[in-house]
Amino acid sequence: MPVKIVTDSSSDIPAELAAKLDITVIPCNLAIDDVNYKDGVDIQPDEFYQRLLSGPRLPTTSQPSVADFQEVYQQLTGQGHQVISIHVSGKLSGTMNSAERAREALGNPDAIQVVDSQLASLGLGLAVIAAAEDAAMSDDLAALAARVRAQLPATQVFVTLDTLEYLQKGGRIGKAQAFLGSMLSVKPILKLQDGEVHPMERPRNAQRALRRLAELAREYAPLTRLGVMYSTEPGRAEQLKQELAGLIPEDGVITTRFGPTLGTYVGPGAVAVALTRSQ
Amino acid sequence: MGENTKLTTMNANQFLDALKAAETCLERHRDLINALNVFPVPDGDTGTNMLLTFRSGLERAATETANNLGQAADQFADGLFWGARGNSGVILSQFFKGFCQALSGLETAAGPHLATAFQQASTAAYQAVGQPVEGTMLSVAGAVASSLQSLEPTAAGPTGLWEQAFRSSQEALSLTPTQLPVLAQAGVVDAGGLGLVAIFGGMWGVFTGQPQALVDEEVQKSAGRVTPQIQSLPAVDASFVDASHHEAWGYCTQFLVEGPGLAVDRMKEDLAAIAGSIVVVGDQRRARVHLHALDPGPALSYAVAQGGLSQIQIENMSLQNQDWGGAPQQPARPLTLVAVAPGEGFEQLFHDAGCAQVIRGGQTMNPSVQEILDAARRSNGQEVIVLPNNKNIVRAAALAAQERESAVKITVVPTLSVPEGMVAALAFNPEEPLQRNLDSMDAARQGVTCIEIAPAVRDSTVGGVSVQAGHFIGIIDGGLKLAAPDAGAALIEALDSAGLSPDLIVTVYWGGSSSQSQAEALALKIERRTPGIQVDTVFGGQPHSPYLASIE
Repeated sequence: MPVKIVTDSSSDIPAELAAKLDITVIPCNLAIDDVNYKDGVDIQPDEFYQRLLSGPRLPTTSQPSVADFQEVYQQLTGQGHQVISIHVSGKLSGTMNSAERAREALGNPDAIQVVDSQLASLGLGLAVIAAAEDAAMSDDLAALAARVRAQLPATQVFVTLDTLEYLQKGGRIGKAQAFLGSMLSVKPILKLQDGEVHPMERPRNAQRALRRLAELAREYAPLTRLGVMYSTEPGRAEQLKQELAGLIPEDGVITTRFGPTLGTYVGPGAVAVALTRSQ
Repeated sequence: MGENTKLTTMNANQFLDALKAAETCLERHRDLINALNVFPVPDGDTGTNMLLTFRSGLERAATETANNLGQAADQFADGLFWGARGNSGVILSQFFKGFCQALSGLETAAGPHLATAFQQASTAAYQAVGQPVEGTMLSVAGAVASSLQSLEPTAAGPTGLWEQAFRSSQEALSLTPTQLPVLAQAGVVDAGGLGLVAIFGGMWGVFTGQPQALVDEEVQKSAGRVTPQIQSLPAVDASFVDASHHEAWGYCTQFLVEGPGLAVDRMKEDLAAIAGSIVVVGDQRRARVHLHALDPGPALSYAVAQGGLSQIQIENMSLQNQDWGGAPQQPARPLTLVAVAPGEGFEQLFHDAGCAQVIRGGQTMNPSVQEILDAARRSNGQEVIVLPNNKNIVRAAALAAQERESAVKITVVPTLSVPEGMVAALAFNPEEPLQRNLDSMDAARQGVTCIEIAPAVRDSTVGGVSVQAGHFIGIIDGGLKLAAPDAGAALIEALDSAGLSPDLIVTVYWGGSSSQSQAEALALKIERRTPGIQVDTVFGGQPHSPYLASIE
């Protein structure tokens, strides 16, 4: 039976790429001023960031419901497919929990493998894209899922933020707590480690932060996949891309925007690099 | 409704009215619930998630007509299921799914139906979570269900049941910090549990006829119901230790006795004659025994006559007691940073950069070895990095590091000036091991040029620079390089002499006789002279020098 790949919208995979690779993206929920939105379905980044910066109350996010997952799983398995469902780190979101509950409720839970990526944004995205390419060539659910899991440690995400405020207010600051409250202007660099936000360095401005991101990425070369994310400053993403030149062929670099779910936590001015090291 | 109109049954309209009251009650307390949710993940959105989840149930119920209570409950539960947001929302939706299933098909519900509904609600809530954790809204749901078992449900009716449900939810909420240590440490009750109390409170108000003001007062009271005993955790309150004096000395003894033919009840009685705090559980084959005794010997001798002993554990409670009676001891952190800083601005800056302790001191106020050692101990790190930030303090810090009696291991990063120390502090990352920190702090401070501007108190010539009293000298990386009539001019000249280029960052710390506006005017001037350069001005509060600066 063919294997289909499912993820959630916090993977920030560009919609056209997801469509091309036949990846089902379940939207996360977002509440702005008590109104519910589906990430990427009824709210897009432009509107989102405008409201993030102007709204009286910070948006809040929540995982897709068990029902959202059930619907997708039932549809795919009903069509005779098997499913690998890869999601944002369970330490950052309850999405994994919804997916597991939905799988358990299914008549044939064995047709589905749920994977905690321990990653977010395009870090998750790269793992999902790799899985989708792999799934196009194999029907062996267990072997595919095992490869997905084995590949996860090869993927890294480094991000620089203009401010830790959104991460803190959104309750996802994790160990980067240690970098809070500097009166000197810094553009902290953070990474995802063991599924959590982890502090790395405190460069004094955005230029240096971008250069450091590129240096950090180069430490992992040779790479098989590379992506660049940004929230509100496409110029910075472009600059980072130039700093990363030569790591992989330029047309293979995925550039994407932090969608509303991730945008709630990274805030304006954020730029990140996601990479998969060759194994 | 009130006392005299005690309900014997609940119909669809009454149920929906109560749910609406619960929604508005949840809304009124949403910010309170959000604010509570600070540990373990500072989520801050539990109130919002629960409110929006709850609202989706009511919206669903409002769009369809229900012919009876059962249908209304089904619609509400269905809306909740589809609208569930966040973990708290998911648990809430499962709670009401269980609750409403018990009402399914009913025209009206009497006391026994509701008692069953609470039972099923609690069971469903627990099932919603992969690994249930006590001290959360689950515990509140569970406590309500079990407390209702002591009521005679027909006699109590909906009014009596809701009274009991609300009161027991308040009680259970107040216990959440005893169940979940992170709550106790934060001094708060569980946020999701408070959400449940707010919902029950709203419904309680409807079924018992209480005014909204009283409902709000009760809900708010629940939010603050952290008992003093709990606030003093994790260091156990000394008065508590005193009160349990007779119990807290001697030996806490536990073991397993294996039969055949054990008489658990008789063992309890017999042991009670020779020890205290007896707990014996088990059957004829195996019994687990827990007791406190000044001498565990007789109890063990008694037990060995009953059967084979194993898993014997004996703890000296007197020692534990001494530990608890001492100063509150936070768990040690693997790595901490300690810095010496002159002035309140720098004190704050070093704290913000991650220093666990900042010793006030500097050029004219060098801290002692003892003061540095004390600060390192107070920083509560297993390993401590010390930034002396002055060449006259490096040696004292090195001596503190040599102190072998101390349990703390001190390493000195020999920073010679405060701006250099600041750069090193920003390279500190407590999540990384010591050596990585030493490497990155060293690398960071190598790349920085430090400038000090200081008033000259007498005429002199140093290293070919002639200085007049009342003028300002410029010191670059420890060497006197220039003098100028005013502090600003001296800083500009020092920066020029050190060499500026557009990709550099200059940080100007103002203190002494200078002001913020003077510092900001200087920053503009520097930026104009070297377009593209970044100049930050910060209050350092150093006593003598009008400006300290770093170039990175």
